[in-house]
Amino acid sequence: MSETTLRRLFAVATPLLLIGAWWAYVTIFNVPRFVLPPPDAVFSELVRLFTSGTIWPHLAHTVGVIVAGFAIGSAAGFALGFALGKWPRIERIVGPYLFFFQTAPKIALAPLFILWFGLGLTSKIVLTVSLVFFPVMVGTILGLRSVPANLHSLCAILKLSQREKLVRVELPAAVPEIFAGLKVAAVQATIGAILAEWLSGGTGLGYLMVFAGTTYKTPLLFAMVLVTSLLGIAVYQALALTEKWLLSWR
Amino acid sequence: MSFDGKVLFCEHRPNNETKLGKVEKLKQAGTHPQVLVRADAVTKIYRSRMGESVEALAPTTLDIHEGEFLSLIGPSGCGKSTFLRILAGLETLSGGKLEWRDGAPTKGSDVGFVFQEPVLLPWLSILDNVRFPLDVFRTPKNEGNERARAMLALVGLGAFEKALPKELSGGMRQRAAIARALVYRPRIVLMDEPFGALDLLTRDRMNDELLRIKNETGSTIVFVTHSIEEAAYLSDRVAVMSARPGRISALHDLDLGPERSEAIKDDPRFYQWLSTLRKELR
Ligand SMILES: Nc1ncnc2c1ncn2[C@@H]1O[C@H](COP(=O)(O)OP(=O)(O)OP(=O)(O)O)[C@@H](O)[C@H]1O
Ligand SMILES: [Mg+2]
Repeated sequence: MSETTLRRLFAVATPLLLIGAWWAYVTIFNVPRFVLPPPDAVFSELVRLFTSGTIWPHLAHTVGVIVAGFAIGSAAGFALGFALGKWPRIERIVGPYLFFFQTAPKIALAPLFILWFGLGLTSKIVLTVSLVFFPVMVGTILGLRSVPANLHSLCAILKLSQREKLVRVELPAAVPEIFAGLKVAAVQATIGAILAEWLSGGTGLGYLMVFAGTTYKTPLLFAMVLVTSLLGIAVYQALALTEKWLLSWR
Repeated sequence: MSFDGKVLFCEHRPNNETKLGKVEKLKQAGTHPQVLVRADAVTKIYRSRMGESVEALAPTTLDIHEGEFLSLIGPSGCGKSTFLRILAGLETLSGGKLEWRDGAPTKGSDVGFVFQEPVLLPWLSILDNVRFPLDVFRTPKNEGNERARAMLALVGLGAFEKALPKELSGGMRQRAAIARALVYRPRIVLMDEPFGALDLLTRDRMNDELLRIKNETGSTIVFVTHSIEEAAYLSDRVAVMSARPGRISALHDLDLGPERSEAIKDDPRFYQWLSTLRKELR
């Protein structure tokens, strides 16, 4: 057997084994459904969520918060990272405040955001933005600073204008670091959106999870854990693919 | 043969020279070498972070002639790269001045620079890297591709135009960097040990190519090298530098004629120069 077939076999066998063990444990020890439902109950709950259509408005809501928060947060993170990366003097002034803001736990800030921006969509997007912002900013600063000294010399020799240097040299050189930041930010955005829905409102995957937990609908809770994990992976993969395409030269 | 003021200031430049017509200029060039740029008591002092200062270049005076091949040789750390970077405008002067005949270079296409190590844009193909200056100077794409391809063929990379820098060896990358510096036919080409990373055979070939390109383009070349043989083979003049503080300790007009080929390496005068230069480097 070649190594790849073996690896593929493992990839299929491992989850099957885990599900098997889970199922065996629940049946043998007669575990109550609200503590740990059997895998088939979770699976049929998952199917029901999608076939009945209950999931769609919630999914759409969460994806909306993620997309809006990610877009605004990474645009702002890029803009500030760009300014700080190009003009280190600005960093000396605003750096400490940003650091303070970043080390403050965002979850602790969440109630404050609700207080300021209400229970609606705005506070959710603000929380997501606050989580997305920092990794993108740091990635942009690192990327711009990573341009080797000799490339700066080359631009000086050829007398590139500031704008041209940025477009032709600095930004392309910064892409790897910016994407490292974006990938972290994408995961953070997913967490942020679900966390925000946990805290307020009546729609979204996060809300559905709270609902399932407080009403002891454990199969639904498990199904939701699966759905949110898959959503996180999908968001991350979308970015990883874009990165792979953009960075094919690496 | 050693350093003296007369060799350095071999021409007194009239003040109104920039206003001379082309014909007069050419006439002058026939008799005296034209000074393209004069380094006048140029010094460079680097300040380290501890506040100490390093005198990389003691007052250095040197004329660089239009169309000449001038080599700088000297021990490591004697300020060769520093002098070249000053000429390129990459480094500020701590003292003295640079006098350009037609004013300091204002266009990006005036100066070509080959760094000690290949400096390429890793996300661009070899062809795009070589065409990069032409793109910056807004040369039409077709013409740019044509010239870049011709240049790549010249440095022996014709088959690698689609390759990425990471897919080439160090020596091949350096040849691409040389092609990029020459593709826009700069008036002055500054080369900092460009062939240091090449094997001897490729190095010999590149030397001949460089001379050929120089004859074609008529560019002025200032060339830093560690190899005495390379300096003697290529140069019209050789400046020997010594360290601590960096300065020019000798300047030689090599009387080996404008035509150089392998045959010259058997010429007794060539050997004479090798031994002279070797002694002065000690
Ligand atoms: N950025 C810098 N800051 C401080 N000192 C410097 C800097 N660059 C060069 N020096 C010093 O200036 C001196 C000359 O350096 P330079 O690079 O010009 O030497 P070089 O002749 O090119 O040497 P090599 O043959 O090894 O390349 C050295 O003593 C070096 O330590
Ligand atoms: Mg050097």
